Amino acid sequence: MNIFSGHIATIQVNESLSLVSIQMNEHITLQTIVVETPATVSYLQKENPIRVLFKETEVIIAKIATPQISILNSIEGTINTIEKGILLSKITIDTSIGVIVSILTTQAMDKLELAAQQKVVALIKSNEIMVAE
Amino acid sequence: MITIDIHKTLQNSNGTMSLAIQLTIEKGQLITLYGPSGSGKTSTLRILAGLMSPDTGHILVNDKKWIDTDKNIKLSPQQRKIGYVFQDYALFPNMTVRKNLEFALEKGQDKSIIEELIDIIALKKLQHKKPTTLSGGQQQRVALARALVRTPDILLLDEPLSALDVTMRSKLQDYITKVHKRYNLTTILVSHDIGEIIKMSDKIYCLEDGKIVRQGNPIHIFTNNQLSGKFQFTGKIITIKKEGVVYLVTVLIGNNVVKVIAQESEIAALKTGDLVVVASKAFNPVLMPIQT
Repeated sequence: MNIFSGHIATIQVNESLSLVSIQMNEHITLQTIVVETPATVSYLQKENPIRVLFKETEVIIAKIATPQISILNSIEGTINTIEKGILLSKITIDTSIGVIVSILTTQAMDKLELAAQQKVVALIKSNEIMVAE
Repeated sequence: MITIDIHKTLQNSNGTMSLAIQLTIEKGQLITLYGPSGSGKTSTLRILAGLMSPDTGHILVNDKKWIDTDKNIKLSPQQRKIGYVFQDYALFPNMTVRKNLEFALEKGQDKSIIEELIDIIALKKLQHKKPTTLSGGQQQRVALARALVRTPDILLLDEPLSALDVTMRSKLQDYITKVHKRYNLTTILVSHDIGEIIKMSDKIYCLEDGKIVRQGNPIHIFTNNQLSGKFQFTGKIITIKKEGVVYLVTVLIGNNVVKVIAQESEIAALKTGDLVVVASKAFNPVLMPIQT
């Protein structure tokens, strides 16, 4: 599990759902959609510290920034390590919010010709990010 | 509804302890008292049952005063409608299962409750046997049935399952949940088994040194983690297997076995038999109709 800490910047509520933007540092804001509202959980308040959690298998890797895509969250970084398996591989990416781990198919990794020290962008869909106090 | 506000000075192995318990239990709830040995759990049950008296305080059960030390009111154990199940079964060895149940009947009480309990707790095949010929789990089922013969207002369960193996324990938990719902009982359980508490109770009260130090929903108390994932269950790890760069973790949730892909850092603190929260977002699962 990738776990990072940030602060709630904005909360947009519609019925049972909230789109929460979380300020991770001065450059990075992550968006997550949750089935909670400020009325159902106390931690969903502007400026509250909050943790974001997302699974390694949900981290998509792109070699270049891709603005024409339906994914709201993108974080630039540099590949640090690569652990190559037969079907799945694991890469660690140094970013400004910390080390992000991504697990992807070895086939996809080979197709992108990923290697250590390469600059990449980690993409995470907003419905894949969980939050916790 | 049950309102308890009791105080008593007790002697335990560490010297003197001041028991001070205030709690309110809604009718139909199953609550758990949880805490280290000597924290006052069993004493609280004994005071409720009338086997011990508080120094001061009152107990109000469905608007009826069981104890009020200010007004010198104190119902005897027989006047309180209580079912009590302990870890040891305390059945009459010379009587059959059926006779053990019948012995618990009140004078003039309708006997049909016996047939009903034999049916619900599946004692039909055991009803003519003597307790000594039964397994621990079977004896505990009889003890549970016997505690229910007088259709109590409150069912007190003092670690009733702690001497049983895992499978038997799980079965008995199901029987207890079943009768608790069937008779709309108010049940107070003392247990140390976190899985059991999460599975069975509506609310948990954590006792330390005679006081309630925390209370709330068992999952929140034990996981200490308000995760936003709405697809959330508690289960027990059956196996952890390394598969290439990931781990495949098999988890038993209720009667279902699920598999979760995990990372080395996630399983570092986990081992087979551990309880875990399995969480995902409400956006991930798919629903498929079942042909019936």
